[in-house]
Amino acid sequence: MVQFTLPKNSKVKKGKAWNPPPEGTEEGRWREYRIYRFDPEVGENPRVDTYWVDMGDCGPMVLDALIWIKNTIDPTLTFRRSCREGVCGSCSMNIGGTNTLACTLHADDAPEKVAIYPLPHLPVIKDLVPDLTHFYAQLRSIDPWLKTDSPTPPTEWRQSREERQKLDGLYECILCACCSTACPSYWWNSDRYLGPAILLQAERWVQDSRDERTGERLDELEDPFRLYRCHTILNCTKACPKGLNPAKAIASLKRQMLERGE
Amino acid sequence: MNNGNIEARRPLSPHLQIYRPMLTMMMSIAHRISGAALATGFVLLAWWLLAISAGPEPFATVNHFFASIPGQMLLFGYSWALIHHMLGGMRHLIWDTGHGLDKVSIEIFAWATIIGSTTLTLVLWLAGYWLKGA
Repeated sequence: MVQFTLPKNSKVKKGKAWNPPPEGTEEGRWREYRIYRFDPEVGENPRVDTYWVDMGDCGPMVLDALIWIKNTIDPTLTFRRSCREGVCGSCSMNIGGTNTLACTLHADDAPEKVAIYPLPHLPVIKDLVPDLTHFYAQLRSIDPWLKTDSPTPPTEWRQSREERQKLDGLYECILCACCSTACPSYWWNSDRYLGPAILLQAERWVQDSRDERTGERLDELEDPFRLYRCHTILNCTKACPKGLNPAKAIASLKRQMLERGE
Repeated sequence: MNNGNIEARRPLSPHLQIYRPMLTMMMSIAHRISGAALATGFVLLAWWLLAISAGPEPFATVNHFFASIPGQMLLFGYSWALIHHMLGGMRHLIWDTGHGLDKVSIEIFAWATIIGSTTLTLVLWLAGYWLKGA
C-alpha cells in the first residue's frame, strides 16, 4: 500500500555529533559521515549521528570508513560486512541517496557529506542492519534450483556455449537486495510483488536450457502483482552495484508471457 | 529481551524521504501525473461538446472562457500532458519489446521525452496561433 510518510515510531530524530575534528588540521582530511542509528534495546526513535573520519588514517572505500568509525570512535555502530570486494552482498545500504555496496563505493565518489541509511523500506533490526526475511522467503518461492524430469545423466547436464551465454547478466547476481529496495513499486507492494532481484532470479531459471519446468515457472509468475507490478521505473537498473539489468530481465519475462500466448 | 513484540516495534527504514531523485524515476512519476491530468482534462472536452449541443449562447460562453488567459493556460497544460503522455507511452511500448533498456538508452529516452513533448506542444500552439491569424 502506498504510504509516503514514515510511521510514528520510524521518524528519524536528530542525533549527536561524536568527534568534531581537531582544530587546525589540513583541509579535506576529515570527512563528515551522517549515519542512521537505531537501538532496539532503548526503545527510542531512530536518529542520525554525525561522525568525522580521518581519511589519512582510513582505507579508501566507504566500508573502510564504517570500520574505522567502529574501531576508533563508536564500537556500537552495527552493520553487515564480509568479503569487502563486492562478492558477498552483505554491506548493501543506502549511501548518498542510492543503494549500493559500501565495499565497492570509493569515498571520493560519494557526496561531500556522506549520508548512510539502511536499505529503504525494510524493518530495521539495528542501525544499518535491515530484516531481509521476507526477501529471502520470496526467493524461496520461485524455487531457485534446477528442476528436471529427465533421468539425471551419468556426467553433468550438458549445455552449448550459446545456451550458457543466455545466463550471462543473470547468474552474477549476489542477492544484495539493492535493486529491490530501490524500487518504489516494491516499497508499496512488497507483500505481493516479487521485486527486481527475485524476478531476475526467476528469469535466470527460465533461461536455463537444462531446466525442464519453464512453463510451470512462467505460470507461477502470471499474476497482476508478482510480475506485473513492475512499471519500468528503472531504479533497479540504476542501483545494481554489479552492473546487471533487472529491468531488462523483467521485460524479457513479460515478453515470454506474451509469446506463449496467454 | 527477545519478546514477541520486538518485530512489531521495528522501525521502517526511510525510503522516499532519502532516495535521490533520478531523471528516470521522475519520468515515471511525470507519466503518472500527466495520465491523471488527462483523465481530469477530458472534463474540458466534455464541457465544450455539451456546450455545442446546448446551443449558441452556452457555446459562446465556453469559447469565451477558453480564449481567456486562464483558459488558454489550462489548454496549454492539457495539450502538454497529452503529448507527454503519448511520448511516454511510446517509450513504454519500445521497452515492452525488450529494447532500449540499457543504461545509456534509458537516459536518452528520458531526455527525448522531455524535449520532444515541450517542442511538440510549442509547435502545436504556434501553428494554432499562426492558423488563427491567417
